[in-house]
Amino acid sequence: MSLLDGWWDDFFFGLLTVLQVFAVALAIAVALGLLGASAKLSNSRLLRALAQVYTVVFRGAPELLVLLLFYFGMALTLTWFVQLFDPSVKFIDLPPFWAGSIAIGLIVGAYMTETFRGAFLGVDRGHIEAARALSLNPYQVFWYVRVPQMWRLALPNFGNHMLSIMKDTALISIIGLEEILFVAKMANSVVHRPFLLYVTVAMIYLAMTTVITLVVGQLEVRANRHLRGTR
Amino acid sequence: MSFDFALIATSLPKILQGLGLTLNLLVVSTLLGLLLAVGILLMRLSQHAWLVWPAKAYIYFFRGTPLLVQLFIIYYGLPQFGLLRHSFLWPLLREPYWCSVIALALNTAAYVSEILRGGVLGVDKGLIEAGKALGLTKFQRASRITTPLAVRLALPAYSNEIVSMLKSTALASTVTLMEMTGVARTIVADTFAPYEIFIAATIIYLVLVWFIQTAFTLIEGYANRHVRKG
Amino acid sequence: MTGIVDLEQVNKFYGDYHALRNVDLSVAKGEKVVVCGPSGSGKSTMIRCINRLEEHDSGRIVVDGKELTDDESKIESVRREVGMVFQAFNLFPHMTVLQNLTLAPRLVHKKPRGEAEEAAMKYLTRVRIHDQANKYPSQLSGGQQQRVAIARALCMNPEVMLFDEPTSALDPEMISEVLDVMTDLAREGMTMICVTHEMGFARSVADRIVFMDNGEIIETSTPADFFAAPKTERARTFLGQILAH
Ligand SMILES: Nc1ncnc2c1ncn2[C@@H]1O[C@H](COP(=O)(O)OP(=O)(O)O)[C@@H](O)[C@H]1O
Ligand SMILES: [Mg+2]
Repeated sequence: MSLLDGWWDDFFFGLLTVLQVFAVALAIAVALGLLGASAKLSNSRLLRALAQVYTVVFRGAPELLVLLLFYFGMALTLTWFVQLFDPSVKFIDLPPFWAGSIAIGLIVGAYMTETFRGAFLGVDRGHIEAARALSLNPYQVFWYVRVPQMWRLALPNFGNHMLSIMKDTALISIIGLEEILFVAKMANSVVHRPFLLYVTVAMIYLAMTTVITLVVGQLEVRANRHLRGTR
Repeated sequence: MSFDFALIATSLPKILQGLGLTLNLLVVSTLLGLLLAVGILLMRLSQHAWLVWPAKAYIYFFRGTPLLVQLFIIYYGLPQFGLLRHSFLWPLLREPYWCSVIALALNTAAYVSEILRGGVLGVDKGLIEAGKALGLTKFQRASRITTPLAVRLALPAYSNEIVSMLKSTALASTVTLMEMTGVARTIVADTFAPYEIFIAATIIYLVLVWFIQTAFTLIEGYANRHVRKG
Repeated sequence: MTGIVDLEQVNKFYGDYHALRNVDLSVAKGEKVVVCGPSGSGKSTMIRCINRLEEHDSGRIVVDGKELTDDESKIESVRREVGMVFQAFNLFPHMTVLQNLTLAPRLVHKKPRGEAEEAAMKYLTRVRIHDQANKYPSQLSGGQQQRVAIARALCMNPEVMLFDEPTSALDPEMISEVLDVMTDLAREGMTMICVTHEMGFARSVADRIVFMDNGEIIETSTPADFFAAPKTERARTFLGQILAH
């Protein structure tokens, strides 16, 4: 691996960038997923329709297209906006970090919406009725009975969505964010070992997705420990 | 800033010039991927560790790494090896089209084999026992009971995988292919109207997704006609 | 009518389907009423209206002086006085037996944990299952789960207990352990409304038997009269089917 000497620190910083995008996109996706699921379950037809459009569009459009739309589109919008105040400004770039994190967050948020909605509906109605019969108020029913069971039902998909976010971060190299795939491209222009470099990138991603898989697996064991029945 | 609806309309036909290649990539890589997936599934379900482990490793690698990186390894990485450049594979690996097809097929095979395995494991054990009790051979049980039921169980997840493949074909634009996203990107470079052009492209993709989902709804309805209630 | 539970001319529709027709029922404090009737006759619907798991469309339902309307605080106060046991147990799967029992006392009655657990253990002892307190529901047999469910309802010190076919989901050998607990409860003077087809239990415990068919109460009698001489043809047919099994 001495061929890559001198590039390891670049890979390291690239990885930090990947992790930052992951964290920001995950936060956005969870927030949008909760909002989207609430909207889909609400009594308002308008909210339900909006959430439906959101999930259809962001689950149907290619990730790359959404990313490009955000990167170039937001730059245009920002420029237009800033020029309202200062016409001398020529062009404003939206940092690829934010364009990428927001785009991935929006995409995966659409999937989270469906996951959270399904988990909400997946909780056995009988358990909700039992809690109401015990005179728990709606808020207590939600937090003590529904949420813990939703968590268990949502976890497997939630884990898959985290893997999607992690893998989608590779797309951001296309709009110029200096994450690990971008580092590999740069390094290749110097050392000309594309196979070695891209396989290195793949291995770094594999390590990240393995960690996510293991963590989610542990969480699932915890969430399901009450199901280890002896029946 | 102005939003030009007319531009959406005029760019639609241009983007549609990439439709053929998008569909071509989708169909060819989906079919190759399915063949490969069945092979991996059989290895994964076999009793021999030396078949099971390679299958597991394959699935682990292709599901654990980004498709874009896989594509780059194949398109940019493999030509690094002189051996390959002189082999019969070279005419394929030189072509961005075949590199994209190979990457897409290898990638989807990992997912599809797991989807099919889920279907196989989901088949009620009681039905297989009933088959045994009736004296069906192992092969008869596999072909008459397990396979048809597993395919039915796997259909919904498989339709999602096809949609996901459609979206993945957009990555071929990163290795110079002019499928729909590639065409859209060139138009944006000319007009610098990202909203209109990319939204136009998105609309076409959404229509295709709708077609795929409708087709699978019909197929599922047909496959499950035995459970439809009177 | 001045029972602890009063239903007056209650009607209930599911869309066009008339599920309860002019139901009148008054249950006095300490009384044990067994409700029976063919499947789909509206038994569950009726008792679920009493703690407003279902809303009635017309008529009045009054529980311990409180009429059930849309008023949420009244609904909650009625539910505090009315315990319910379901056919499917409905224990919270993610909580241990003890947590199932202490949840509502702690949240609703704001009991401190120690006190709630002490009470819970007392009820678990009464339903003869105190050694399972730290298990999860899925680790118990059906009969044990149902006894936990009864204890969970009792932990709220209800005035009235509703049972909706508490033994129909159980294997035959587990039915009696649940019925024994219910019989104990009856002896202690609890007001009980039980939907059940366990006619032995009805005969020995019930003060009154209510027979429903097609959303209506068509017969109310003492167990002795009901079994010896049902007044209606439909009750006779029903008894014939039940007792034949
Ligand atoms: N949520 C519901 N929606 C529509 N119909 C219902 C619903 N619940 C019960 N019913 C109908 O009301 C009738 C009475 O049901 P139920 O009270 O459960 O009967 P029982 O408990 O006596 O078997 C049945 O015909 C049933 O199909
Ligand atoms: Mg019932």
